Amino acid sequence: MNMKQDEYLEALWRLHEQEKNSVEDLQTALNAPVERDVLDGLTSDRMAEYDGELRKVRLTEKGLAYALDLVRKHRLAERLLHDVLRVRGEGFESEACTFEHLVAPQVVEGICTLLGHPRECPHGLPIPEGECCRRSEQTISTSVVYLAQLEVGEVGQVAYIDCQDDAQLHRLNGLQFKPGVEVKLHQKYPAYVVECEGGIIAIDEWIAKRILLWKQRGRGVYEDGAVPHVPEKPARKRFWRRGRRYGTFTRE
Amino acid sequence: MRAKSARACGVAEKRTIAIIGLPNTGKSVIFNHLTGEYTVVANYAQTTVETKRTDCFMNGCRCEVIDTPGLHCLSIHAEEELAIRDLVFSERPDVIVQCIDACQFKQSLTLTCDLLELNIPMVIALNAIDESTRRGMWIDSTGLAQMLGVPVIETIATQGRGMAELRAAIAYAAKSPAPVRYGDTIENAIADLQDLLGEGVAHSRRIALLMCMGDPFVGNTVGPLVNEENAIKLKACVTELILRYRGDVATAITYRRNQWIDEIAEKTIRRQKVAPSQFSKTLGHLCRHPVFGVPILFMFLAATFFLVVHVAGFLEIALHGLLERPIIAFVSAVVPSGFLHDLLVGKDYGVLTLGLFNAVCTVLPILSVFFLAFGILEDIGYIPNLCVLTRRIFGKVGLKGRSVMSLMLGFGCKTMATLTTLGLPRKEKLIAVYLIAATIPCSAQMGLSMGLLGRYSFWAFLATYGMLIVIAAAAGALLNRLIPREDRSDLIQELPAMRLPNIKAVGIKTYYRLYWFLKEALPIFLVAALALFLMNKVGVLAALKVALRPVVEKWFGMPVDVVDAIVLCVARHEAAAGMLIRMADAGKLDVFQCMAAVLLTTIFVPCFANIVAMCKRVGIKTGVAMTLAMNASAFFIVGVFYWVLVFLRGVIS
Repeated sequence: MNMKQDEYLEALWRLHEQEKNSVEDLQTALNAPVERDVLDGLTSDRMAEYDGELRKVRLTEKGLAYALDLVRKHRLAERLLHDVLRVRGEGFESEACTFEHLVAPQVVEGICTLLGHPRECPHGLPIPEGECCRRSEQTISTSVVYLAQLEVGEVGQVAYIDCQDDAQLHRLNGLQFKPGVEVKLHQKYPAYVVECEGGIIAIDEWIAKRILLWKQRGRGVYEDGAVPHVPEKPARKRFWRRGRRYGTFTRE
Repeated sequence: MRAKSARACGVAEKRTIAIIGLPNTGKSVIFNHLTGEYTVVANYAQTTVETKRTDCFMNGCRCEVIDTPGLHCLSIHAEEELAIRDLVFSERPDVIVQCIDACQFKQSLTLTCDLLELNIPMVIALNAIDESTRRGMWIDSTGLAQMLGVPVIETIATQGRGMAELRAAIAYAAKSPAPVRYGDTIENAIADLQDLLGEGVAHSRRIALLMCMGDPFVGNTVGPLVNEENAIKLKACVTELILRYRGDVATAITYRRNQWIDEIAEKTIRRQKVAPSQFSKTLGHLCRHPVFGVPILFMFLAATFFLVVHVAGFLEIALHGLLERPIIAFVSAVVPSGFLHDLLVGKDYGVLTLGLFNAVCTVLPILSVFFLAFGILEDIGYIPNLCVLTRRIFGKVGLKGRSVMSLMLGFGCKTMATLTTLGLPRKEKLIAVYLIAATIPCSAQMGLSMGLLGRYSFWAFLATYGMLIVIAAAAGALLNRLIPREDRSDLIQELPAMRLPNIKAVGIKTYYRLYWFLKEALPIFLVAALALFLMNKVGVLAALKVALRPVVEKWFGMPVDVVDAIVLCVARHEAAAGMLIRMADAGKLDVFQCMAAVLLTTIFVPCFANIVAMCKRVGIKTGVAMTLAMNASAFFIVGVFYWVLVFLRGVIS
């Protein structure tokens, strides 16, 4: 998806909000002539449906979901810039546009929570509801930590990898070690051992200090008691506990 | 579709089938099943270092099956994977079999995506499906086949399940259109690049994509394909695209591909909510644990040692009684004493005594027991865990990254381990190659030194190998100082899932290793014995002994007959070890001398294949220099070791 397509998707979302679907309306929303090949690109990606005869265009279900995300990011960014950073005037719109292409979904949740789940953007348009709004979280409980700071047995989600070396990133990506994936730390010494998508990988401490993660809250239980999406870790059996039990048994 | 890849093909035509996949996904096992040949397989990455090809009949036509080392994806950043990509690009196999480990399904999809773009008929073997089920994971193979448009066959290669279906599917291998579209801008650029490359170029889409991604090696592939004018245009086209994406084309492409992978994985993988507890995970964890790992290693060593000492010792005695004595008695009765008698069963250098019986009655029992024990360790997947355990130690001597794994592979076969050092930074490569050749005992060496020192005690064995570790650390530290500092390389190593050993697979592997040993080494044993016999008769040996007597007797503190073993060592390490065992049995060597002798045979003269591999990786000049340095240091170290032992004995008593 490139910038231009994103722009179209956003415009189409606005039309969807206003319950319009003609190409002329799209042109007004875009404030520029409609380019045919961008529309064709969206159609081939199954984001939008375009009817050439009636000159109607509308988003598909996939397109709606994608556009919702974009618009949400954009309007949240506007709120953030407007309310917190107090950006005004010319740079405002373009900054918000850049912003929506940069942030990851998890960061969006964080921003949304930080702003107190706002309902409207500074222009008065509605901000689509996100997962965090439905859970109505009160605090931002995810925080970014280095893999090296994680305790053994903890689970984290890779936020980003701070690495300049192309070959190394490439190798990690080949092992599916990439932003968004959940990893579990098994061991810290003599080398770091992590589990990632079913594979077990040994890495150096040096690299572990360059991988940033969102720590799973507690043992994967949300504050309002919703179902965790991390499987509950089975309690570790400790062999000495059993021994003690037998010990008391014989003493009796 | 080309005629060659049609379902039925003429007898004259030969189809090439390339087996490609991630490391440790079972490519070689499938290769063995498809062809009926045998290549060594083990439960860890990099077991196969070089491509292997063989002809066979499949579905009624002649096929050439190619087994390849592991490959992560087609855009390459590491030199060692380049050879496989070149193979795919230049040979254009008729069918690709992608081997996927079901447990690491998602990791394999990057490669799947790349391979589908090649537009070559393809079959996917979804291997180790039993293992993934055990982990509470279920993959919808039918759905996957529909989504990808190529046959997907579930297999359990270690048990040979699903091989008939795979064979049948190879006949029906299908092409599928490139699965991922990268958005208009990139697609247009790819189309332009494809036009410039010309009609006749195979895999033009893939090559164009690699150019967009800035692949460092693709220039070599493209170079000869286009003329100068087009080459400039190609470059301009790529530069324009990079400018439009502000330099982030590769990221954009990877992002799109990752999206596709996530989508496929989401639709095809079902997981149990509660993962069952896993024996393999617990075992793997314990083996890597800094506290429990060491006793486990120790336990494995001790178990192997006592197996070798007792079981192999029993076999040895049995073979001596059943084979050696009757035959010697028979030959002595038939052949009158004289030249022929000496040549065949002479007390010192008979071709039968020193050649045949040395190999069959002394070396073979030890190797068979040791290979069996070692095969079990390989099949469990224990050895790569050592690279976590020993990480800090090797880090101190300048071996930071992947080279630790190469060193661990040296316990299996030094030659293969030397070959895996391709693509390491030069400094690490030099250190690793030297340490592998000089201080890591390969499986045969380890087995035989267990056999020799087992005649005394486990502690003698431990002390000797402890000394070897000290030597390795010293040599590594010295080399680390001598060779100027360079870029660091880092450890990113996938570890295999541990599993219970498959007795049948271990048995087959042991059988083949022994078979190869007899086939390769027995002639050398016989020739070496004959050479020694002739040298003795001519008097060269006596002269050599006189010349070496001061070194051997005064410096090594060994009887002068050890010179025979040193001469044999040049031919084949196993022969020397066998001879030393015989000398120990005859009471010519005491325990200290045996320990020094084990060190000598481990460090002195690496086997010929290893020298060739060294020259291949570090250049002939350095390789030869290293060999000489090793031999010189062997003489020095063994003497020092012996005298330290003698000194210690003096202190204690």
